[in-house]
Amino acid sequence: MSTTAQPNRQQPSPTPPRPPAAPSPGRAERGISARFFGASAMSFPTWAYVLFFFVIPVALVVFYSFGYKPDEFTAIATDRLSFDRYPEAMTTSFVTTFFATLRISILGTILCLLIALPFAYWLAIKVSPARRSLALALVMVPFWTNFLVRTLGWQIMLSPDGFLSNWMQALGLLDGPLDILYTRSAVQIGVVYNYLPLMILPLFVAIDASGKKLREASYDLGAGKVKTFMRVTLPMAMPGVVSGCLLVFIPLNGDYVTATVLGGASGSMVGQLIANQFNTAQNWAVGAAMAMILIISTLVVVGVGFALLKLGQTITARLNSVPLMDGRA
Amino acid sequence: MTTTVTAETTPATGLDHLEIQGVKKVFGDNTAIERLDLSVHRGEFLSLLGPSGCGKTTLLRMIAGFETPTDGAILLSGKDIVSLPPHRRPVNTVFQSYLLFPHMNIADNIAYGLKQAKVPKPEIAQRVREVLALVQMEDFAGRKPEQLSGGQQQRIALARALVNRPQVLLLDEPMSALDRKLREEMQLELKRLHTKLDTTFVFVTHDQDEALAMSDRIVVMYDGVIQQIGTGEDIYANPTNGFVAGFIGKQNFIPAEVASIDYGTARLRTANTVLEVPSLDLRPATAAGRTETLRAGERVRAAIRPERIRVAPAGQEPATANTARGTVMSYSFLGDVIQYMITVGDNDEILARVPAAGSTPLSADAEVDLSWDADAVAVYGCEGGSSSSDREGGA
Repeated sequence: MSTTAQPNRQQPSPTPPRPPAAPSPGRAERGISARFFGASAMSFPTWAYVLFFFVIPVALVVFYSFGYKPDEFTAIATDRLSFDRYPEAMTTSFVTTFFATLRISILGTILCLLIALPFAYWLAIKVSPARRSLALALVMVPFWTNFLVRTLGWQIMLSPDGFLSNWMQALGLLDGPLDILYTRSAVQIGVVYNYLPLMILPLFVAIDASGKKLREASYDLGAGKVKTFMRVTLPMAMPGVVSGCLLVFIPLNGDYVTATVLGGASGSMVGQLIANQFNTAQNWAVGAAMAMILIISTLVVVGVGFALLKLGQTITARLNSVPLMDGRA
Repeated sequence: MTTTVTAETTPATGLDHLEIQGVKKVFGDNTAIERLDLSVHRGEFLSLLGPSGCGKTTLLRMIAGFETPTDGAILLSGKDIVSLPPHRRPVNTVFQSYLLFPHMNIADNIAYGLKQAKVPKPEIAQRVREVLALVQMEDFAGRKPEQLSGGQQQRIALARALVNRPQVLLLDEPMSALDRKLREEMQLELKRLHTKLDTTFVFVTHDQDEALAMSDRIVVMYDGVIQQIGTGEDIYANPTNGFVAGFIGKQNFIPAEVASIDYGTARLRTANTVLEVPSLDLRPATAAGRTETLRAGERVRAAIRPERIRVAPAGQEPATANTARGTVMSYSFLGDVIQYMITVGDNDEILARVPAAGSTPLSADAEVDLSWDADAVAVYGCEGGSSSSDREGGA
């Protein structure tokens, strides 16, 4: 879990990097104390955290991925380094599971976005500020509940003799018992449920920040609700869409609890294979190589996603902008 | 009461472009606008002027469509627009905080409304360029709003509204965020645009100088009620009630009692002097009251504009009426005028403004004689909304 969950600390921030810290008032005095209490010193705990819990563990994974398993009773040896574990990790079952995982993650992210967008819009725009906290609490309370417990809840819900199955049969929606537990569909439902709040929150914040007044300006200029959403609210909420997608996609890619509880044999995810290498097979080198493949491909998918987004934005901007023929625009 | 006010100023029908008929707006248990009637003439520059909370912005937002009147009708060229959503109304707004779209460049901001109206692209480009030239911002088409100063953003906000050729342009305190010099420039600019375009402008402001500088007519509002409608000169020289008298310009309000009335002249006794007033009109404290005739024994407020008061070094014992002897407490040189704060008797403070040119400033503590013409005094009732106007002037 620790290896696979780590990339989410590295998510590219949707906002541009902060400019160098402005000189603090204490700087005027010069000397060591001023520098010690400056902004860079105050950020030390964060730097230390990133170093010890992200940089060093990832470096270790990279390092272990070049090692090997010397004998049955030793998990890792690094006296000889090679790339050999990478081809070794790419077994047919790993590649199959890997692409199945990617499919679940991409589909899961898209589903989360499609579900969260109308909800966040409703929450930010239609719900009165007084009721908003209640609605947000309803989103957050299940999220704070133990991950494993709420996933197990879905096991009960989706089981062939569970109440959902019984009701659907009683209503005539199904001929036989519900047959999706321990399939990829169950995993898909489970991850959308588990990661939805991570999409809702940044979307809500972004739509809320885009502001009622700008929407009024848009209505005033003749745009209806749909046009205003497409041309003003959504473009302005784009940073929220990006962070929501990153917050969902990256940890989802490394998730193995949901798949373990709901997936069974046919719905396994790559995180489970990696965990097996570390815990069961005790082959850290192959596990580390698998983790590296996962991390790198996650970054590639994110990079491709960003490129597509930029391309889309450039194209829409081209289509929407007014060419002033004197070339000033 | 408001109907009587508008009845005097409503011109022949056909001129009226925007008509507000019996409009009322209630938020919860707070009445923002009290049954209001108002006719805006075609091509006129009309200002809604009043202190914050007087309902002027609410009225503007009802015209734009952001608020629905609790009751009443809003007619634009004879058609009721109350049921139309904001995006279907042929009016555009210049907002207080500009509200340019931050993710679009200036040209796209301006083109936004035309695109919604499905104007062909070449025409959009043409009109955007024209309006940029109109506000003298041709070189900024490709910039983002954040790269512009406040004054420049204001011009773009104006261009973005004007490019749609609205039937009525609504301006919601558009200059309150600008510094004084820029504001004065924009006032001239706005007046120039209005003259050139012949569009109906409805301008909301709490700044009387702004309203006086630009408007064809001013609507003074207070407490959700129209207090007076008229030209700037009219409202300044002839306020119909105490609120308007105190809100527009500076005013000395002096508590007085009607001592006697004979042959059309009222003698008012104040703590320190006697006023002889050639009119028996007792104007109400706010538009809620009506003008009545003075009666002996009544407690009233006499109002004198600071610039109507003459200040001279103390000389002979002054004449009995419409004069006072006082002491200069402080004076300030304001460029074109010198402003004196003068104490009369124990507790009356009189503000006087004399032209700076050709007069020798009187120093503090100097004994002075004040005098004014009888027709400089107007008399207002005390009751009701007198408290807010009291703050404006002297005692």
